[in-house]
Amino acid sequence: MATETALEAQAGTSGGTPHGTPFGVAKGETGFRHWSALRNAAILLVVWEVLGRFKLVAGGALPAPTDVIIRFWSDRGDYPLHILATFQGASLGFLIGNGLAILAGILFAVSPVAARLGRGLNVAIFALPPIAISPILVLTFSGMTPRVVLAALGCYFVTMSATVTGISQTDRRMLDVVRAYGGTRLALLRLVEIRAALPAILAGLRIAAPAAVLGSILAEFGGGGRFGLGAYLIGSLGRADPARLWGIGLAATAMALIAYGIFALIEARLTRSTRAVTVAATPPGIRSEGSLVSTIAITLASIALPFIVWWLLLKILGTPAMIAKTPAGVFDYLFLAPSATSAQTRLLAALGQTLPMTLIGMAAGLAFAFALALASVVRPGIVRSFMPVALVTQTMPLVALTPLLVLLLGRGPSVILWITISVTFFPAFVTLAQGLGMVSRGALDVVRAYGASPFTQLRLVSIPASLPYLFAAMRLAVPRALLGVMIAEWLATGTGLGNLLNQSRGYLDYGMIWTVAVVSVLISVLFYQIVIVIERHVLRKRGMQPAA
Amino acid sequence: MISNTGITLETVSRSFQGRGTVVQALDNVSLNCPAGSFTALIGPSGCGKSTMLRLALGLDDATSGEIGIAGMKPQQAAKAGLTGVAFQDAALMPWRSVEDNIALPLDVLGRKRADFTGKIAGLIDLVGLKGFEKSLPGELSGGMRQRVAIARALVTDPKVLFLDEPFGALDQILRRQMNIELQRIWMKNRATTLLVTHGIDEAVFLADRVVVMQSRPGRIGKIVDIPLARPRLPEVFTTPEFHALEDQVAEALDGH
Repeated sequence: MATETALEAQAGTSGGTPHGTPFGVAKGETGFRHWSALRNAAILLVVWEVLGRFKLVAGGALPAPTDVIIRFWSDRGDYPLHILATFQGASLGFLIGNGLAILAGILFAVSPVAARLGRGLNVAIFALPPIAISPILVLTFSGMTPRVVLAALGCYFVTMSATVTGISQTDRRMLDVVRAYGGTRLALLRLVEIRAALPAILAGLRIAAPAAVLGSILAEFGGGGRFGLGAYLIGSLGRADPARLWGIGLAATAMALIAYGIFALIEARLTRSTRAVTVAATPPGIRSEGSLVSTIAITLASIALPFIVWWLLLKILGTPAMIAKTPAGVFDYLFLAPSATSAQTRLLAALGQTLPMTLIGMAAGLAFAFALALASVVRPGIVRSFMPVALVTQTMPLVALTPLLVLLLGRGPSVILWITISVTFFPAFVTLAQGLGMVSRGALDVVRAYGASPFTQLRLVSIPASLPYLFAAMRLAVPRALLGVMIAEWLATGTGLGNLLNQSRGYLDYGMIWTVAVVSVLISVLFYQIVIVIERHVLRKRGMQPAA
Repeated sequence: MISNTGITLETVSRSFQGRGTVVQALDNVSLNCPAGSFTALIGPSGCGKSTMLRLALGLDDATSGEIGIAGMKPQQAAKAGLTGVAFQDAALMPWRSVEDNIALPLDVLGRKRADFTGKIAGLIDLVGLKGFEKSLPGELSGGMRQRVAIARALVTDPKVLFLDEPFGALDQILRRQMNIELQRIWMKNRATTLLVTHGIDEAVFLADRVVVMQSRPGRIGKIVDIPLARPRLPEVFTTPEFHALEDQVAEALDGH
């Protein structure tokens, strides 16, 4: 499982590891930090006001904050219902998704076989670009269900992997104490593991909360229902009213930020008493693999499982075959039906546009994140002033951001790149900064004792030591990059897979909708697996363990 | 009541698969600790003393050989609540208060905590932590944490007590004090005790017999009987007999 627990790094903390934020803020500086953050925010607002007031950006596409507020006030009658609708979808999805995620996480942590069987399904859910399946959900379900499902899917992987990591990183000494008194598996879970995993689980919930909001908005976006911030946004898109779009975008961001903040507070309260008192001497055990035959069997079953679940879900729901394509249906559409060649041509053309942008955007986002993480080691001040902005862009639901970026950047390829960078950057940065922050002080002291400059320290110690985190960041970035590109294509540029999906939705071309969804998940999984293979190879050669 | 509460190891071996190599952590070890005896295990790193303890606790399975704790398999004895254990590192749960940490074995064994409130209070008093009942481990010093771990090991009135370098992390002064305390506690309840230690003086001071182990492969080198009378007072540390016994153990450690 270790390789799949990608988001834990993003989730921030874990049971046994030395705590501390990756951003190394000393306690005494807190007051100063608050003050400077306020000052930075004030400067930003003033600049924004001036830019907006005099229509300096893209001919008035960036409205002044005061205009946004005035518009928000005149729209105030609309907001409560939309916010309530999004909140309902998001919160129900949050509860269901996280409930399932924690149960699944416990199951995977307890049973290595279950973990290996569930791997295919987990990777598929992780890699799944929500935008690709939102039309399918809207076709298959009615009412609130698509929102709830997408919000739940947005939560599942984060919390599941946080739970697994939390449990599997439980201090082994505590487990030994319980085992020495004949404690059963259940006693271990009840008395130690679940409690020890709590900080990790809460960190997962913190990340999952804005993801649920985003999931709900994405589903509203794909249609279904009059109310919800997503529906409001889509409805306002054609009205050339930037102030309102900004208002909706900011409302969605505020919602996500509040959700994030609530769980961050709970987490901070609870983790205080859970910090490990000493450092564990023994590393978490390495699970032994079974025979070759059973390994192959389990791997195949794990690949087959997502398809079986897909097929079973459709059977259970009883959706008409015309709308709901089974795996066989998609195969038929793409390879056997009379229209197969035309479908293939359109799909390949779209892929030809989407894939290069995904790779470039991902590389740029990662490079930017790595550069900033390194800079933050040398100059921690950079992070301090940059973090709040990064946090806002991260929790700002992507969909709300896109129309605004279109207003600012137009509909060219640059908007795709910016969106992709903005979605890959933050999780990658957090992961990398965490990795760099965890570099052992002792190792740094050794080179420092020989008078190494900060750059020599980076080169000789920090960068090599944080290599596992670079791979973890890449694993995180893969599906997000594809999601970013597809959203930009759908909403802004009218190219590639995103556009193909949107068009097929308009033509009611169900076969193509399903095909695009399946292909985008497969691509995402494929990239993810490629990263894992390289990661295993590189880290094994250097005698390192993958970062969670 | 179980009449025989001894520890027996019969031709026990344990090997670990490394990368293309097999490490023989324990090779054909036989040891018999009679009921009520105090045995110290001493040896260089990697001689298999911790492995032996883990096997006796049922935390690990032997590759071959038989282990009996009070005539039962280790896991059975553990489930029956006959054993108590204190590890090298206190291994306290950071979210449980001192009291709750001491009560942990009761929770594992499914015993009612209400029946033990007096017992827990007594143990806290015994290890000198009165007033710290509600403290969290993070608020205690290293020595205090270790004393919580000792109290936890004693809460079930164990018939067989395993101590894995319980004072390894303490300074020499505190360690002496704890040794004297431990002897007092042991003389009261006479649990069969197996102590793993790095300290020759500690082993000689506390044990009836010192089992000297050797590494590669892990095996018993020599068993040194300690005929000093009990209770052993702190003054015994400076007597010639004590030094002679220490020298015997040290020689055995060197392989003579």
